[in-house]
Amino acid sequence: MLSTVLAGCGSSNNANNEPSPSASTAPTEAATAAPTESAAPEGTTFENPELDVAVFQGGYGREFWDSVAEEFMKDNPGTKISITASPKIAELIRPKIVAGNPPDFMYIAGSDNTPLVSGLIKDKALLDLTSVFEEATPEGAPLKEKILDGVLNSRASSPYDDGKVYLAPYNFGVMGLWYNKALFDTKGITPPKTWDEFFAANVAAKENGRALFTYQGIYPGYLEEMIVPAIYAAGGQEAMNQFFDFDPEFWKSETYKQVWGLVEKLATEDNALMKGTVALNHTQSQTAFLQGKSMFIPNGSWFEDEMKDAPREDGFKFGYLGVPAFGADTPVSALTSVETVMIPAKAKNPELAKAFLKYLYTDKAIKLNGEKAKAVMAVKGAPDLVKEYITETTYNVYKATDDGMIAVNGSFMPVAKGSKFNPSDEVYKPISSIMSKQMTLDQYSEKLYKVYSEIRKELDAAGAQ
Amino acid sequence: MTMTMKSKRTFFIIACLLPGLLLFCLFKVYPTFQIFQKSLYLWTGLSDKPQFIGFKNFVDLFHDETFLLSMRNTGFLMLVVPIVTIIIALINASVLTQSKLKERGFYRTVFFFPSILSFVVIAILWSFIYHPTMGFVNAGLEMFGLGDWAKPWLGDQRTVLWALAVTLIWQAAGYYMVMYMAGIDSISPELYEAADLDGASRIQQFFRITIPLLWEIIRVTIIFSINGVLSISFIIVSIMTGGGPDRHSEVVMTYLYSQAFTNSNFGYAMAIGVVVFIISMLLAFISNKLTEKGAH
Repeated sequence: MLSTVLAGCGSSNNANNEPSPSASTAPTEAATAAPTESAAPEGTTFENPELDVAVFQGGYGREFWDSVAEEFMKDNPGTKISITASPKIAELIRPKIVAGNPPDFMYIAGSDNTPLVSGLIKDKALLDLTSVFEEATPEGAPLKEKILDGVLNSRASSPYDDGKVYLAPYNFGVMGLWYNKALFDTKGITPPKTWDEFFAANVAAKENGRALFTYQGIYPGYLEEMIVPAIYAAGGQEAMNQFFDFDPEFWKSETYKQVWGLVEKLATEDNALMKGTVALNHTQSQTAFLQGKSMFIPNGSWFEDEMKDAPREDGFKFGYLGVPAFGADTPVSALTSVETVMIPAKAKNPELAKAFLKYLYTDKAIKLNGEKAKAVMAVKGAPDLVKEYITETTYNVYKATDDGMIAVNGSFMPVAKGSKFNPSDEVYKPISSIMSKQMTLDQYSEKLYKVYSEIRKELDAAGAQ
Repeated sequence: MTMTMKSKRTFFIIACLLPGLLLFCLFKVYPTFQIFQKSLYLWTGLSDKPQFIGFKNFVDLFHDETFLLSMRNTGFLMLVVPIVTIIIALINASVLTQSKLKERGFYRTVFFFPSILSFVVIAILWSFIYHPTMGFVNAGLEMFGLGDWAKPWLGDQRTVLWALAVTLIWQAAGYYMVMYMAGIDSISPELYEAADLDGASRIQQFFRITIPLLWEIIRVTIIFSINGVLSISFIIVSIMTGGGPDRHSEVVMTYLYSQAFTNSNFGYAMAIGVVVFIISMLLAFISNKLTEKGAH
């Protein structure tokens, strides 16, 4: 190993893909370069063989990262990957980033950690990864064609709307409304396909001794899982752009009235909103749903795993509905999200980090991710590749978008640096007041009109500088 | 030897003080100075190139409705919590020391108990006490036939601050009670005996003997309690309400944290820190001045 490093230093200006001149390592590589389905060019050595990886250790665990690193090191002898994993990974690496010594490769997810990513985006401190996705895979086509449609040019991957990829897609999540399938099957209730049917289901809910709807009370941000698809259903891409790009006129539009009308209806109709919802945290409200206190709740594909130890009513079975449509002629939709991995612009070893990134999209790694993390990557055909490792419910949620359900995704444009506004907080937090009938829709839209106008003003001022 | 005994002594004292002083400067003075400096910058808290913007953060601060709301909420807690806490603590301390209750030791332990629990545990405990359907408060009201009074206490913008105040008072009252009990124990029993002989009632004794003689301790605890609210409210609010509903329980410290770490607006957060620093200094100064009169 030492000789590789020295050789690398000696030929400092060599391209990284050039085979190492060091005789001592070459034969080893040849020996281990057995026919694997690895995408990494065989026999590659890196000027700097050490890779510092920081990953979020959440619901998906860290086993995948440990095993994929092991595989990568086997396929690329001489490389050494060290992994730091933590549920609070942002806290661990923040000081390193401030000191100008960030990890080479980062997987950051979870609401405690993602703010770090928005900070890095505001600072333009991420490496441009566009070239990685332009390069051909061993199968011939460029890597970008392997990724799910619409993901790479979404704001989650390409935050500056310039067509360049700064955040590489990793796990794919589907969100929407959930119900108790066992109850629906035994009582012969059909899952609603439109909002009218949804509110009509209130009768059945009442008969079965439960409210129609609950959500994660003190975290009203979860409501985006139904609000964003509803915006798309009511106003199409145009309304989505208005909403996510801070056009104040959105708050005077018909789309607004239609979508937030649903919220108001939930707040005011008898038996619609589960009693006390606004005061509950996510675990409390989700438990109440499992115990049969409410017929529907919004949540994502992680739901089943997240609540695996929670008490539930007899025979409870997870059922995924998506988000109802406004008319019978349009299909149900679902909000999708993609977790991302990234390489900081100041990474010490960007070349090896890019190679590791490419390795993540090999079938071998995708399967490994299914096996160890029980997760599905944002890659075409991934649900089928990992079918044996995930539960039937989860598989069906992923397949739903293949079976005609409209997949909706979107995220807010980054606000100006130094802005005091956090768009998601500004939009979703006041919904608590609508839900507890202490704010009217007009007061709400007036407030948001002002907020959007100010965010716009700040953006224009920042752009002018 | 030219060194006299006295200079040796001075040298020794300096040698003893120096390490502590250095650590104090490094971990207290320097960070505080940094807060003041960073409050003048536009900085995400991540990059190594903060941009100097003068007092813009402070100007923005006073146009920020959420900040002003969080100041109002914090002010409410700083006013209500210390006053009620201290009154309850004083009454309990006085009752427990003066009465001949057999269970005195037991009560003292029970009242002190919240002070040894972690704040996180307290917050989780109380979020279940206030739970809208299975919580102790609402279930209790229903049991007494007052079901109409049941509310989602933490979900209603009119009750949330009061509900949090109760938690903060419950948490702190026992601690101050034990401090006052120690104070009362050091008051000579002869004073009470003499008052008894003169026919003073228990209530008169409380106002004429206990309070004046405890005054110095009370002054200190007022400042402790105000500052305690500032720091403890962060944990209690983060866990119990997340600042909700619709920011009606947002306090200055949670807002500071969210600007620094979820909005990557570090310079702005430091400006909030500076305002909080100045206000708590002012409050300590004012309460010290106001209570000076009663001091002996």
